[in-house]
Amino acid sequence: MFKKVLIANRGEIAIRVTRTLRELGITSVAVYSDADRNGLHVMLADEAYHIGPPPSAQSYLNYEKILEVAKKSGAEAIHPGYGFLSESPVFAKAVKDAGLTFIGPTVENILAMGDKLASRELMKKAGVPTVPGTDGAVLDADEAKREADKIGYPVILKASAGGGGKGIRVVHDPKELPGAFRACQSEGKNYFKDDRVFIERFVQNPKHIEVQVFGDTHGNVVHLYERECSMQRRHQKLIEESPSISVPPDVREKLGAVAVQAAKSIQYVGAGTIEFIFDNKTKEFFFMEMNTRLQVEHPVTEFVVGYDLVKEQIMVALGKPLSMKQSDVKQKGHSIELRICAEDPVTFTPNPGKIRKYRMPAGPFVRLDNCAYPGYEVPIHYDPMIAKLIVWGSTREECIQRTQRALAEYMLTGIKSNIVLHKNILQHPAFLEGTYTTQFIDQQIAGKKHRELFMFVDEHVFLISAAIEAYNQSKSRDVGDYNLASRWKRYGRQNSMRD
Amino acid sequence: MYFEAESEGVKYQVSVTEAKAHWRVGLREEEKDWIYYDITKDDYRVLDDTVSLIFKDSSYLVDVVNKGTEYTVYTRGAYKTFEVYNEEALLHESLKAGGGMGSGDSLNSGMPGKIVKIFVKVGDELKVGDPILIMEAMKMENEMRAASPVKIKEILVKEGETIESGATLVTFVQET
Repeated sequence: MFKKVLIANRGEIAIRVTRTLRELGITSVAVYSDADRNGLHVMLADEAYHIGPPPSAQSYLNYEKILEVAKKSGAEAIHPGYGFLSESPVFAKAVKDAGLTFIGPTVENILAMGDKLASRELMKKAGVPTVPGTDGAVLDADEAKREADKIGYPVILKASAGGGGKGIRVVHDPKELPGAFRACQSEGKNYFKDDRVFIERFVQNPKHIEVQVFGDTHGNVVHLYERECSMQRRHQKLIEESPSISVPPDVREKLGAVAVQAAKSIQYVGAGTIEFIFDNKTKEFFFMEMNTRLQVEHPVTEFVVGYDLVKEQIMVALGKPLSMKQSDVKQKGHSIELRICAEDPVTFTPNPGKIRKYRMPAGPFVRLDNCAYPGYEVPIHYDPMIAKLIVWGSTREECIQRTQRALAEYMLTGIKSNIVLHKNILQHPAFLEGTYTTQFIDQQIAGKKHRELFMFVDEHVFLISAAIEAYNQSKSRDVGDYNLASRWKRYGRQNSMRD
Repeated sequence: MYFEAESEGVKYQVSVTEAKAHWRVGLREEEKDWIYYDITKDDYRVLDDTVSLIFKDSSYLVDVVNKGTEYTVYTRGAYKTFEVYNEEALLHESLKAGGGMGSGDSLNSGMPGKIVKIFVKVGDELKVGDPILIMEAMKMENEMRAASPVKIKEILVKEGETIESGATLVTFVQET
């Protein structure tokens, strides 16, 4: 077992890793930038070292400095968390070269999956389904028709340089293809001076489905089933759940098998996630990319399959075989994770600042991976996510009800947060039915006014509260003056008594 | 106590009177009628620096943040910011408006009050600093003076008349 491990990260994930380290009796080493001296991850770790100024490039991405601290502290291994240096092959190699253990995949694993296009080609060769499409540009309408027939309808035609709605056509009916092809070609030519057109399968009702995989250094690979992460804003995940209500049992088994096949093809070691785009109409899934690290949303998997993924990462890094066989892995119940961010619930723009009141939900089957506290100043330099609310229920319905309950208990004031956005999503029919796609927020939520999102509050509560507060303040100012005056008098009296 | 508040372009008049066991809060949104709520001190409690408010049988945890005239109310993940002016602030605004009226073509009251004396009549031509009227507000008499050379066009109030906040008292034309 390691005696000491450095966590090259900050915020909730640094705390998450610290917790498992402490459970295993390993001394935890935190690092922090100038902006994070007050970070909870610093307070909860056994040791803490300053690594530089606030900008990430000079602190959490400064791997020379981090390695220097690792050596100074006597850490034997480094856990990179997610983001920052977690998928940097240069860092992984530097850790190894320094004689330390990188708690993560091999340098080769990271390199193989680091490039989106190259990794797709690699997976295609390994027999993993990718979105069907033409390899190069199609030259004329006849060729376009032949290719589209091969790919299968509906298809999407894309001008090579197309974007912003120009040079893009979705075709459901083969009869529309020649016209759409010519339109794409001429739009590409007119707007982008490039008339090359590509054809791809159009994924209907797209969902983001990913599979958690785990490999060890003995060649074993298992999958820990899927997570659905279709609830996204600004192309970033907001809510994740496991299992996905949209994946039928036979497709689930296939997803798992394909993910294991993909991971095995590159001799994958450690925790990884294979992301698929899922067609909720045809129930087909296509490889998008692989994340060679622990994911933000790993707790929903932990709740449903019952394994501590960070502990498993550490064991694999020590060279031990996986603690589970594929047949041991069973999904039990349902789990939902909400990302709680310091951001405007309408515009999704970050809203860092000082938190005043902070009361987190608790109670049965509720887990908070959190880095905030009352009086905490959310720094402007990093991701605005301050907590993850993760809930388990024996069924999806129970889990949703429990998550709604937990949200009702959540109090955060002083800065704007997306708690109220989550409340709205959690009672939306598309979420309750599970039919939501990756476009849900853009189509159903974006553009709503604050007033609509704030439906849980009687409009007059705001003004009444402000009025009573303003009244009490005016009153106490008068009283304050009076008290001040009487204090002076008392002081004078006491002085005269002394004389 | 009388306040005026504004949030997202909507103006409100607010009155708060305190009794032994409750506050009576009156609210009036622009163009609408006054609504009065009796909020008992049992229903509005300051606990550990957070307010527990029971309103229409609903339980709210409320936090009010005050910076100058700005009040932001947070509850149930929702929030709203008001500019709140008390009588002192309104008087200040009123005097500022009286002193800086050269920018407009009327003299308006920044707060409710009573007209004590009017010094001018229609057609009078005033120099900077000439008195126009005296208004009583907050138990103080305030003399409103011309901030620029003007000619009185209309006088819309009488001596002894009680006026609302925002009421136009006198209109004039700028003398150039």
